[in-house]
Amino acid sequence: MRLRDTLTLAWVAGLSCGLLACSNSGNQPAGAAPVVDVTIAKGQVTPTNATVAAKVHQQITFHVTSDATDELHVHSTPDHKFEVAAAPNQTFQFSVDVPGNVEVELHHLDRTIATIQVQP
Amino acid sequence: MTVGPATVVLAHGLGGSGDLPVPYAYAMVGAAWALTFTFALVAFAWRRPRFDPRKPGRPLPAALTKIVDARATRWTAAALALLFTVWAVLAGVWGPRSNSNALLGVFYVLLWVGLVAASLAFGPVWQAISPMRTVYLVLRRMTPKRLRRPHLAYPASWGYRPAAAGLFAFVWLELASPDPASLPWVRSWLLVYAVLMLGGAWLCGQRWLARADPFGVYSMAVSRLSPFRRNPATGKIVVGNPLDHLPSLQVRPGVVVLLAVLLGSTAFDSFSSSPTWRAFADRISRGFGMPATVSSSVLRTLGMVVFICVVALTFSLAARATGGVDAEERRALPGQLAHSLIPIVVGYIFAHYLSYLVERGQQAVFALADPFGQGWNLLGLAHLHVAYVLSTHPPVLAGVKVACVVTGHIVAVIAAHDKALRLLPAGHQLTGQLTMMLTMVGYTFTGLYLLFGG
Repeated sequence: MRLRDTLTLAWVAGLSCGLLACSNSGNQPAGAAPVVDVTIAKGQVTPTNATVAAKVHQQITFHVTSDATDELHVHSTPDHKFEVAAAPNQTFQFSVDVPGNVEVELHHLDRTIATIQVQP
Repeated sequence: MTVGPATVVLAHGLGGSGDLPVPYAYAMVGAAWALTFTFALVAFAWRRPRFDPRKPGRPLPAALTKIVDARATRWTAAALALLFTVWAVLAGVWGPRSNSNALLGVFYVLLWVGLVAASLAFGPVWQAISPMRTVYLVLRRMTPKRLRRPHLAYPASWGYRPAAAGLFAFVWLELASPDPASLPWVRSWLLVYAVLMLGGAWLCGQRWLARADPFGVYSMAVSRLSPFRRNPATGKIVVGNPLDHLPSLQVRPGVVVLLAVLLGSTAFDSFSSSPTWRAFADRISRGFGMPATVSSSVLRTLGMVVFICVVALTFSLAARATGGVDAEERRALPGQLAHSLIPIVVGYIFAHYLSYLVERGQQAVFALADPFGQGWNLLGLAHLHVAYVLSTHPPVLAGVKVACVVTGHIVAVIAAHDKALRLLPAGHQLTGQLTMMLTMVGYTFTGLYLLFGG
């Protein structure tokens, strides 16, 4: 049965490709309350597009040091909005009630700082 | 738990959080099932075509057909839908200028995803409720007989292309425009849509609405998967195997592009929220020398076009990759197999938008109870809270999503196999469908990978 051998081979190949493709991106474990340090300087943000793990109702903290005013938008349920001043060491805290992928975005710079994976 | 009255702009124009990625194990189990089933089908399945749209189906009571086709029912449904549309549009014009506006919820959730669910459950519902058709029919009644006749014949070579363009315009506004939550943009979109539909219908008659209305064609395509259909001989409503119904999709120019727009845009929506795309887009858009919103919109448009083209090209090439047919038959193959793409499209749309439909759908309905932000509370809806039935149970949601994708894949593969037996010459039936099977496995793996989080 040459056909059946080919099919088995294709199956194994497909499965291992899938395994390789997926194994690169693991989730970090949600342990202690997440803290993200954000620096905004000369129109650049660090970090961008980071991934953070959190639990529902957990206190999430953003420490922001900025040289310009901006708005921090948290696209969660319920959603949060914070005014960022041009000052060092500002602290913003919030918690999320519904599990999901929550994006934290700098409104004026139009950059996503982090995506928080909120697990139940 | 309250729904914030003024949320901010994000993809889909509705803000809020997205679904958690599907766990790795779920995606792998789904992929393994899809692959195993596909090759088992190719190796061991039936060798004679089984599904035929001419089958009579199981008849339902004659009264049902009578009620559904009654003029009173038709006009009531059409009038209610028109009233609902007017209500939503008024909310869009005079309602709150935020993305809790009822028009956005109706447009992006109830229309775009609700239409799929309704068409799958009941059949081509848009034909019955299309507000533009109702307006056209009423206007036609009021014009003198002399002006009523269609002026032109709908060009057959256009096929579904205008509808595909309309669907592209919709997904562009939702996923690639600078600001999907902008009410002026949505209102302009609807205005252009209304003008094109009424103008086209005035020129070409109702056929224009059947071929060029994006939502009509979308609903018609999805309804081919519905268990309810008409007996082709008697016109009575029957219930039957959706796989018999599926091949009744009319093959017209643009049918593959139409389905590619739906699948490609949904896949791009998943992909564009992944960190990979974000980082790439951030890096590239700095070099454009344009405002950030414009350059990111241009980039998203290009990305979406690439996704749509990849779907259309891979599907067309896979359909053509067979021996034993002449050039003309080969050219016709992608269209003749296009119906087998519908289950993949519907499965993936459900996987991607299910929580959106269930949870944002509630939000949209509640918003309609207070369309102008005046504190109205029609039917006691405005003060209800959204029940996050799916989001609060991520494993259930993930399971449902994977099940949708894999079911769509299995139905698609069965439909493609059966049609290949009908179309391909003996001796090429097995080899001729292998490329298509592999392509479909590719779509499903990509879909699962995107749900897994890219």
